[in-house]
Amino acid sequence: MREMKLFLGPQHPGMHGNASVHLFVDGDIIKRSYLLPGMLHRGFEKGMERHSWVNNISLIPRVCVVEPDINEMAFAMGVEKLAGIEVPERAHWIRMIVLELARISIHLMAYGGLGGPTGNYTLMYHAHADRNTILNIFEKISGHRVYHQYIVPGGVRKDLPIGIEEDIHEFLNDLESRYTEYRDLGIENPSIQARINDTIMLPAHVVWELGVTGVGMRSAVGKAYDIRKVMPYARYDQDEFDVPTGTYSDATCRIDIKLQELVQCIGIIRQCLEKMPKGEVRVPFGKGQSMRWTVPAGHVYSVVESSRGEFGYYMVSDGGTHPYRVGVRGASYPQGLLGIEKYLPGTRIDDAALWIDTMGVCSPEIDR
Amino acid sequence: MTNTINNVEFVRNLVEDNYKVNKTEVIDQYQVSFEVEKEEVHRLLAQLRSEGWIQMSYLSAIDWIADNEFELVYIVFNWEKPVYIQVRTRLDRDNPVMESIMPIHPGCKYYEREAHEYFGIEFPGNPDFHKPLILEDWDDMPPLRKDFDPRAYSDAHFSSREYPETHENTLGQESKVAQRESRMARVFKVGKGGKK
Repeated sequence: MREMKLFLGPQHPGMHGNASVHLFVDGDIIKRSYLLPGMLHRGFEKGMERHSWVNNISLIPRVCVVEPDINEMAFAMGVEKLAGIEVPERAHWIRMIVLELARISIHLMAYGGLGGPTGNYTLMYHAHADRNTILNIFEKISGHRVYHQYIVPGGVRKDLPIGIEEDIHEFLNDLESRYTEYRDLGIENPSIQARINDTIMLPAHVVWELGVTGVGMRSAVGKAYDIRKVMPYARYDQDEFDVPTGTYSDATCRIDIKLQELVQCIGIIRQCLEKMPKGEVRVPFGKGQSMRWTVPAGHVYSVVESSRGEFGYYMVSDGGTHPYRVGVRGASYPQGLLGIEKYLPGTRIDDAALWIDTMGVCSPEIDR
Repeated sequence: MTNTINNVEFVRNLVEDNYKVNKTEVIDQYQVSFEVEKEEVHRLLAQLRSEGWIQMSYLSAIDWIADNEFELVYIVFNWEKPVYIQVRTRLDRDNPVMESIMPIHPGCKYYEREAHEYFGIEFPGNPDFHKPLILEDWDDMPPLRKDFDPRAYSDAHFSSREYPETHENTLGQESKVAQRESRMARVFKVGKGGKK
């Protein structure tokens, strides 16, 4: 059969974000493939050099659209390390609540996104309805639904509103009560199982070759390699949680791990609400007019565990009011670019969308 | 995994005893940086890989235009001894060439392509480093160099929007601003501070 060129995306139900996968197919078997990024390139790394440290707070959440809070956390941690400031105790716990709520929301979105390539849209509607509840909570906390600009260098922007604990508890109880329903709809559903079992394998030796982190790595290696456990930031060392792992990394295993992480997130948020002390939530990292705040010179790589893996900011300061260089290590860079080029060939066309969904390829953070 | 201070000491001994290190910086208990010569980078990264620093986390460059140099940064990580190691080296800015580290870390292929696209650094050994990745049909100098001016680029490439000199009211009705102004004038004429 003659080799044919197909485009998966940028407009396709299985494509998450504005990227395109070029597939060279023979029948329905992929022979060659590569990602075509750049449709969402907004020049953030250059833009950050042209904005002051404080102005950048409103720029960075845009790096990853669906999970903006990890950007704020990585940036804030980097500035705190360079400036050598201590964050108030209460701010650490509030940050963890926000980050874990965001993790639930993106795992729900990824799980619901499974409905696109497998043709079960009910799952997607349920997941997005629950994500909407989280966005309502974020709106009460920070005033914004998607880009919160809530975690800032030195703490969080303001304290939690009165009565938000009840809202969060109510949401968590509701989600927990419907957890089995979620499993029945997606991963336990025979029609979906036929599509996701034993497809899109990721062998353990490939993980180190690609540099894949996060759910993809833990599902293949079988070890609890999670930044929150290995080198805890905020107060993750004081909370008890498990890191679900697997050793047979097909699409089912990776989705299963995401769902198990959902339960762990619920547990972490409950512990945070219980252990959170009272007090200050923010210390300024400079003196005087905030647009002229400077950060001492130095190089730092600050890293957090996102829902897709290790997410880092490499920040260089020359002691001025603007960053000298900010580099973003997108968590989906390895699996999105090299993974698609090397490990998609040999699979079928309809499995390409499953790779993008279960490995969590996020095109905004690849393009920046 | 718990005794993290010893991990940093282990790395320092390992690197400082065997390589010529220009500057060592311990950033915190999980991170340490070394500035080494360009020739030693491959040997150092290969030894670190055999010691367990198998994950290539990040590769990028910094443009130190005042020194006329580029600084390449390699960040590697070991999950069993959690220490991030920054390996930094300086390149001549006029002739930026660095052998690819793809034989050691194959995952750096796209990072090197990106560094070539953004800074113009060449990576012989990487088969695709010269191919365009993110910027489509780019015809200027690499954009993350410090002497690249985005404003001048956009002025040269995109036509500026033309605005009319006068704001004429083509519809023949009173504009909202004018309505508000006449209303306020009426209110203050009455002299009751806006109350009817």
